[in-house]
Amino acid sequence: MEIFIIVLVVVGALVAIASGIWVAIALGSAISKDDKKRISAGTKDS
Amino acid sequence: MSMVVPVAVVVAYLVLLTFVAVRARAAREFEEFSLAKRALPLALVFGSLAATYVGPGYSIGFVGRGFKSGFLFLGIGLAYALQNILVGLLIAPRLRSLKNCHTLGDAIGQKYDRKCQIVAGIISVGLCAGFSAVMAKAGCVVLNDVFNLPNWSSVAIVVGITALYTTFGGLRASVITDAFQFTAFATLLPVTLLLALVFHLKGGPATFTSQAISATTDGLKATPIIEIVGLVAAFLLGETLIPPYANRALASKTTRVSRNGFILAGIFSAVWFLVMISLGITARSVIPMDIDEDRVLLNLVRSIMPASGYALLLVVLVSVVMSSLDSLLNAGAVAFTQDIVKPFAKLPNGSALNIGRSATIIIAIIASAGAVFVPGIIDGLLICYTIWAPAILPALIIGLWVKHPRPLAGILSMGVGTVVAVMFELIIPYSIGIPAIIPAIALALMAYLLGHSFGSAKKGA
Repeated sequence: MEIFIIVLVVVGALVAIASGIWVAIALGSAISKDDKKRISAGTKDS
Repeated sequence: MSMVVPVAVVVAYLVLLTFVAVRARAAREFEEFSLAKRALPLALVFGSLAATYVGPGYSIGFVGRGFKSGFLFLGIGLAYALQNILVGLLIAPRLRSLKNCHTLGDAIGQKYDRKCQIVAGIISVGLCAGFSAVMAKAGCVVLNDVFNLPNWSSVAIVVGITALYTTFGGLRASVITDAFQFTAFATLLPVTLLLALVFHLKGGPATFTSQAISATTDGLKATPIIEIVGLVAAFLLGETLIPPYANRALASKTTRVSRNGFILAGIFSAVWFLVMISLGITARSVIPMDIDEDRVLLNLVRSIMPASGYALLLVVLVSVVMSSLDSLLNAGAVAFTQDIVKPFAKLPNGSALNIGRSATIIIAIIASAGAVFVPGIIDGLLICYTIWAPAILPALIIGLWVKHPRPLAGILSMGVGTVVAVMFELIIPYSIGIPAIIPAIALALMAYLLGHSFGSAKKGA
């Protein structure tokens, strides 16, 4: 019982950390996509 | 404790946040300001939803509740997780599939009529301003507690920075900065828990379990059943589809992203509550038991972390407040433009964008002024939940499911729900012995049925 509860809590903490990392990766990818769009728009303008 | 490290960490964080906000670009049209061009991917919808609902109540508040009443609040919090999952399964995809819909008011307008849209818009703007005032108060408490700044300057710093990037970047800036803030608190607080469990919990798993059992037993003894019922009702309904959540449902790339974003956010909320409650339970064997609930997290981190850890906590708390505040400011501004101004005047895109931006600033000013009148963070949030659920949910949910909803039913339900909730929550509180949200929802539903029986269907339906 004791071990089960502590394992559950640790797994919960790890899942939360993994969610944070997933969103960070998605954020990086969204920003870099934006940059690419901006560069290609700039190239077309020139 | 030297103030240099905390100040340096907070300043560095704010600079990084500003950099991220600038990368999100200024919105160039109202569609971008209000719905981020309906192109948000799953991870950003999920991160932004979670960042918006994890405010001071779901972080500082839950750690304090875990400290005092163990896993009792985890059980109550699961009602919130269930609500998000149900919204994802039943409502978000329907909302997303509506064409030319920017707000909840828009959805209600499409289903009922223009008058209903305006009423829903007024309620949305009022509630967003109220929620924003609570967030401004929370930001004030955090900065005031650490830097001893006067209240007005703490509010000005938190609301000013948030309003700045939300005014220019609109929903996209709000979502991008939310994702950044989510990353900060979703990693730092669980890491704090793991450190506390590994290095500071004397007695290991056995101590944790015995503390959890004793706290939960105390919590159950101290909380009457009717209070638990009221709390479950508030968690299940009170925050359902408040304007910032609805905006994220509408701004998702597809109906599938909208549905899955809410389902994942619901599952995450259960995990998050487990982590926060566990932090509170761990604190029972680390800090003295006579500490005020709202200061448990602060004291725990102060006890187990060096000065830089304390600064880290500050960053987390500032993130928690700003990520909720930016979403509320943007949602209020979009509702004002779309539901209150647009029904009266045909606005070109540029004018709508300018009105949206001006409304962001005005709501930010109202929230700053209103922060003085907020009784407390949790109390302030509960007042807003109690009014929102009966005022909007019956009309919105039934309207999305019934084939030809009747405008009279919508108006009556929103009017009766708002009046009854305000009366029992603010004017004559505790007069009926049960939480105000319950009679307010019951009467709003009865008013809806009455309006549906006597009203006629929308013209052209």
